[in-house]
Amino acid sequence: MSVLNLKDITKKYGELAAVDGISLDMERGKVLSLLGPSGCGKTTTLRIIAGFTSPDTGTVEIAGKDVGHLRPYERNVGLLFQDYALFPHMTVAENVAYGMRHRGTPTSEITTRVLRMLSLVQLTGMEARRPHQLSGGQQQRVALARALAIDPQILLLDEPLSALDAKLRLELRLELKEILRSVGATTIVVTHDQEEALTLGDEVVVMNAGKIAQRGTPTQIYEAPADKFVAEFVGRSNWFHASKRSQSTDGLTSYVADDGLEIRTRASRPDSEGGVDLCVRPEDIELVDGTAPESAPSPEHNVLAGVVLDVAPLGADVHVVIELPGKSRLLAIRKNVGRGSEILPGQSVRALFSASDVLVFQR
Amino acid sequence: MRSKRNADVILAVSVTAIIAVTVVFLLFPVIVTAFMAFDAREFIGPFPPTDLSTQWFVKFWNSGYLWSGFKNSVQLAVAVTVVATAMGASAGLAISRMSPRWRDLTTTAFLSPLVLPGVIIGFALLMFLSVFNVLPVFPRLLCGHLIVTIPYTIRMTLVGLTGISATLVEAASSLGANERQAFFTITLPLAKNGIAAGAIFAFAFSMDDVTISLFLSDYDTYTFPVALVGLIRSHFELTIAAAAVALMGLTVVLLLALDRVLGLERVIGQGVYRT
Repeated sequence: MSVLNLKDITKKYGELAAVDGISLDMERGKVLSLLGPSGCGKTTTLRIIAGFTSPDTGTVEIAGKDVGHLRPYERNVGLLFQDYALFPHMTVAENVAYGMRHRGTPTSEITTRVLRMLSLVQLTGMEARRPHQLSGGQQQRVALARALAIDPQILLLDEPLSALDAKLRLELRLELKEILRSVGATTIVVTHDQEEALTLGDEVVVMNAGKIAQRGTPTQIYEAPADKFVAEFVGRSNWFHASKRSQSTDGLTSYVADDGLEIRTRASRPDSEGGVDLCVRPEDIELVDGTAPESAPSPEHNVLAGVVLDVAPLGADVHVVIELPGKSRLLAIRKNVGRGSEILPGQSVRALFSASDVLVFQR
Repeated sequence: MRSKRNADVILAVSVTAIIAVTVVFLLFPVIVTAFMAFDAREFIGPFPPTDLSTQWFVKFWNSGYLWSGFKNSVQLAVAVTVVATAMGASAGLAISRMSPRWRDLTTTAFLSPLVLPGVIIGFALLMFLSVFNVLPVFPRLLCGHLIVTIPYTIRMTLVGLTGISATLVEAASSLGANERQAFFTITLPLAKNGIAAGAIFAFAFSMDDVTISLFLSDYDTYTFPVALVGLIRSHFELTIAAAAVALMGLTVVLLLALDRVLGLERVIGQGVYRT
């Protein structure tokens, strides 16, 4: 049975529809990431589920019951705010106990549950501290413990890690995932950070302009994006625009890009007025020395010759920017395999990528 | 290099000197008053006093005129503090929930009495109240003081509320607290310091005001500052210095008490709850 069921939710602010006819259902115990750029309606959706905003049309059902007429405090929805919203005049223990106090949990039970929650988020011994005495990561965990303490039917996380610095964010992301898994909380993570969405979510819902662009597992979202927006928003990508299709042979379709390059793809789309957009992920591109005799590994491979413009070694990966004859640029990401195989700016190279790695989107 | 170093030293010395002069300038009148209050001479002689005695304190103690004013002032200040704090805090809390446009407009409207000099407020109120001539003097004084103190209690409440993020109330709400519970457990405790600062200001203003009170007092009912002004006009002597010292002592006691109860840093500093 689905824990959460949104049907045709629309919310307009003036002329602008922040949420435009969204339907969404969620199973118990799953983690769903709501991913999208700012202004795509993800926060409004979250506020509608929590009960802070009432939708213009549509219904919100939690555990099969319509909660549209219920105030936030009458629903059983836990919320982790972006700025944590810890009560500054209360201790850590009082913060965690706050929800249970107002939901009529017996005092004796509150004390033991506060301790259990704090041990869950690894803050045992911090009961008497005040929020301002804690680090950002600790504050975040107190906020999580406070939201989980009321044993919510749904847990909503609003940009849970955005207030932290990059290194801490990585650590806490894994920790957060473990905690959510161990508690088994039905969770919606609202975020604009794709890594956060893809690592935390069992499923990802990509939103754009108030609508759901795609829903799928992290792998589906990345490898089979539903449209150009999703492909562009999730992950890095190289784009070619082609208005002409040359021919199809052996299940391969050749497109001639606007800058004259010929690109073969496995995927075929019917012709359209505006042409098509071709997308290649940078990690699917292999680079070989341009002075070696040309030899494609298979007829399926695209081979583009170019000159290395920039090399950026970013730890495990090396980002290489190549300038193609038509002045367009190509980003290739290769593993940092160490000495002997360095690519230098100015070097001429050939970029190889398989036709099955080329995504085609209609305009 | 050397000359630059010298310039630094000269500058540091002059800054210290300026601070010292300022401190002396600010405290000197207080010190003179404190000494003169213990003067044994019967007249106001040159500083410092040649001999010390407590005669002025005895005179002050026995002066029914000053005590009557003091009693009125304390009663008035307590009434002003209670009413101004209650009204100012309520108004401040209401204003903080308005949309930004109305918030600014309302705040400006409420703060407008502050641009008028006390003399004008006192005189205007005197004219206005004599038209109807129904209010006794004490409520008149209360009205006069409220006009000036309420803007301050509103302002201080708003200042106290600015640090409180709106998500705190939402967090309380999502955790199961209804509007009333969220108000009493979150908003009010966090606004407490701003409200307390406003209350202290209201009390201090009421105890200190001369300009408005002068117009609204009469022969029977007058405030302590009005009585002091009257005294220095009629008898040029040092009872007023003794009264000033007594008032200073009372202020110190009050501040210490407040520090014990609220923490003076918190009331004045307003910085504790910022994270």
